[in-house]
Amino acid sequence: MAPSQTIYAPSMDKLVKSLKGQTLETSIEAFIHLLKRRQVKGDECADATAHILRQVVAKSKWNDVDQLLSKVQAVGTRLARAAPHEPVIGNIVRRVMGLIRDEASEDRNADDLGSEAASDIQSLATAIAPHTQAAPPQRPGPIPFRPPPLTSVASFHVAKPKSMFNLLSVAETAESSITAASTPLSQAAPTSVHALRSEVLDGIEEIMDEISQADDQIAGFADVQICPGDYVLAYLPSRTVERFLVKAAAKRKFTVFLVSLEDPYTTTGEASHAALRKKLSSSGVKTISIASNGLMAYMTRISKVIFGAKIVYQNGGLLVDSGASVAAQAAKAHSKPVIALGGVYKFCPEDPSDEIAGEAGDSSTYVSYADGLKVDALEVENTVADYVPPELVDLYLTNLGPQTRHHLAAIMADHYKAEDVGYSFLSNE
Amino acid sequence: MATEGTAAPAGAPPAQASDQAATVPPNAPTTSTTEPTQLTGAQLKAKAKAEKAARRAKVKEVKEAVAAAQPAPADAKGGKGKGKDGSQTLGPQGQGKAGLAHRPSMNGRRPSILIVEKDIRSSIPECFSHLPMAKRIHPSHAHKDVHPAVLTVGQQMATFAIKDSIARLEATLLAFRKVIESYETPKGNSLSRHFVPHVLNPQIEYLTECRPMCFSMGNAIRLLKTKVNSFDIDTPEDEATEGLLEMIDLFINERITLAEFVIARNAAKQIQEGDVVLTYGSHRLVEKTLLRAKNNGQSFSVSIIDDPYDRGGQVMATALREVGIRVFYSPNLGGLKTNVERATNVLLGAEAIFANGSLHAAAGTADIAVAATAASKKVVALCETINFDRERVSVDALTYNEIDPEQNSAESFRLLYDTTRDHYITGVITEFETGTGNSPAQAILALLRKQEDPALN
Repeated sequence: MAPSQTIYAPSMDKLVKSLKGQTLETSIEAFIHLLKRRQVKGDECADATAHILRQVVAKSKWNDVDQLLSKVQAVGTRLARAAPHEPVIGNIVRRVMGLIRDEASEDRNADDLGSEAASDIQSLATAIAPHTQAAPPQRPGPIPFRPPPLTSVASFHVAKPKSMFNLLSVAETAESSITAASTPLSQAAPTSVHALRSEVLDGIEEIMDEISQADDQIAGFADVQICPGDYVLAYLPSRTVERFLVKAAAKRKFTVFLVSLEDPYTTTGEASHAALRKKLSSSGVKTISIASNGLMAYMTRISKVIFGAKIVYQNGGLLVDSGASVAAQAAKAHSKPVIALGGVYKFCPEDPSDEIAGEAGDSSTYVSYADGLKVDALEVENTVADYVPPELVDLYLTNLGPQTRHHLAAIMADHYKAEDVGYSFLSNE
Repeated sequence: MATEGTAAPAGAPPAQASDQAATVPPNAPTTSTTEPTQLTGAQLKAKAKAEKAARRAKVKEVKEAVAAAQPAPADAKGGKGKGKDGSQTLGPQGQGKAGLAHRPSMNGRRPSILIVEKDIRSSIPECFSHLPMAKRIHPSHAHKDVHPAVLTVGQQMATFAIKDSIARLEATLLAFRKVIESYETPKGNSLSRHFVPHVLNPQIEYLTECRPMCFSMGNAIRLLKTKVNSFDIDTPEDEATEGLLEMIDLFINERITLAEFVIARNAAKQIQEGDVVLTYGSHRLVEKTLLRAKNNGQSFSVSIIDDPYDRGGQVMATALREVGIRVFYSPNLGGLKTNVERATNVLLGAEAIFANGSLHAAAGTADIAVAATAASKKVVALCETINFDRERVSVDALTYNEIDPEQNSAESFRLLYDTTRDHYITGVITEFETGTGNSPAQAILALLRKQEDPALN
């Protein structure tokens, strides 16, 4: 995760670092500012949302599950509204809420069962397992809590004593389950708050791990999907796609057509692709940079089209970088397979929104606003995000392996709770 | 005067001619500054050698030619003096043997061209290596039989100052007109035998070298040659020259000027009140059509999707805005779907049409046509019949295409054209009124047979 965050690394690092020192409100505000200035994008958005929500769970005061849920939802809504163009924020919030519900219902189930021994062992196991997982400091991410020095009381309080509280609270829940078998969740909560907190925190850590490992896991399928001699068209290769191609290049000899919709007169985007080209050519994979708008001309030569999805909607449609739909459409016209890469955390249990797909970007790179005549004359529309309808996508390559459109619903159901799916972070209230 | 003489009637603003004069000398510096980055030491040496050889050859040639004329200095200045210039350059070759004597010196220059060409083409990926690319040839490297007017046109084509098919055709024809005007049949020869192989062909070769010929040029040249061959061997030279000049004038009037007018008129009729017309980049016929429709009193809006590597659409957008047409402008294909959904019909300008009805047009046109077909919108292509090719057939864009010399490097590669299959096109509007003036792309061959070479009769 850390090495590839080249472009937005400074602000993101700063934010993540600041999390432990600042109050919750300050870090939320800081993140919202980053979002609004679009200094955090895509994958970093997901990661940062998870970070913030972990702070919410760890730092804010809550006495029962409902309070926690509403707190997470409130913060999630604020974040989602700050960046309506990043539905991935909503995904993460839903995942965390689903996680909380899961943990809570586990407790409740334990209560309902009333079988001390079974629940005892079960809760012990669940409490200890994540703990042992979390304890060794071998996690890849820049998890700010790990270095123990007493920089911040809050994070210290969350990270370290967790293990002890866990042990204690497990005993407590076990006891309470004996004494009050049918106690409602909200009343039983105070005793299990600590247990729940640490379990939820562990769950969030897992989500963060999932986000950081998704690219590598997707890249693991590279040599299956790419055959020797292929001509692969990579549209605006994202970090995920880059890793995928580099991994494939280690095993296969193929040719990559890199397509960018960069403005030809300001070649800022070239730098990142130059690095990719270098990596690919060092492993013997030829790259051809296509400087073109239309892609129909090249499609006869192409054997498959690959691009990264920003979001996978529940109908199978994709939110992508502007112009990727042109690539998908050209591929369809020539019956070439289209492979969309994206971790499961990008699966969004919503229907596609026109507003996001038609998101307008800075048009001044294309039209000089020093030219008054043109400013008057043109209604310039430079869209930066695009929607790819499901019928144009052949394969969804996720960290859980290759999926077809028909399996998306099952994956959505696995990862989101029905209660959270219905909630729209953008519209109501 | 040859430079301005050709450029002005070609419809190009006189500024272009002076531009030309200004752009030609800087050509050499730009190539020499960009190339060293890609050249190895050995290549550099070879290039320096070649340049030296070229310089020597030039000096030698000037010495040789000094008795008859001074073509090289005259070329460099862009040519001064109308008739004189023509007779001077044609003088030596009119003497027959003198023309042959120059051949060796020209061979001495050839290697330098080849080396430069290799360097430029080396960055073309292997899978596109079969495609041609326009190339800037320094005027001093051109065949010495090339007429100054043609020389200028060649430069303008190589630098893309004259870009689209019809403009190139017109410039070529006007330059050929000058060639014919200054032509004198050598003694013991007749125009019908001598003109094509010894005068016309070097011009064509040079133009092709500057930039691959477009289909309309090929068609026109074929007609011109047929006309020359149709002259009897005893036809007096004046009569034959007169006939050729007349044919060229008729050709320009009928196939270019009139065709443009008729197509714009027919296409404008198809634009209804309240339409949103989607178009790609800028095309002369599309612009004329839209202006005409506005003139007819229709109120409609235009959605222009531009090619960010060309940006011709901005110019057209400004022109349309000036007459009060509402213009939406997309700088790239990004929001294609939204744009297509908003549009009521799509108007595309074609560079050429193949015998199988495929459209040869600016790269990106096919993407528009595919999106429009997917959204069930009417896609109408505009094309003069002179751009129709009756022999070549293309089912993909890599059969006939051209590499953009501006975007040819390790960092970028770009094709100039793409091929739109006929099933993505609802209709083609040509200057021949078949019914509504809207003939399906598949009927192109029949149409061509029907109007087989009217210019000849």
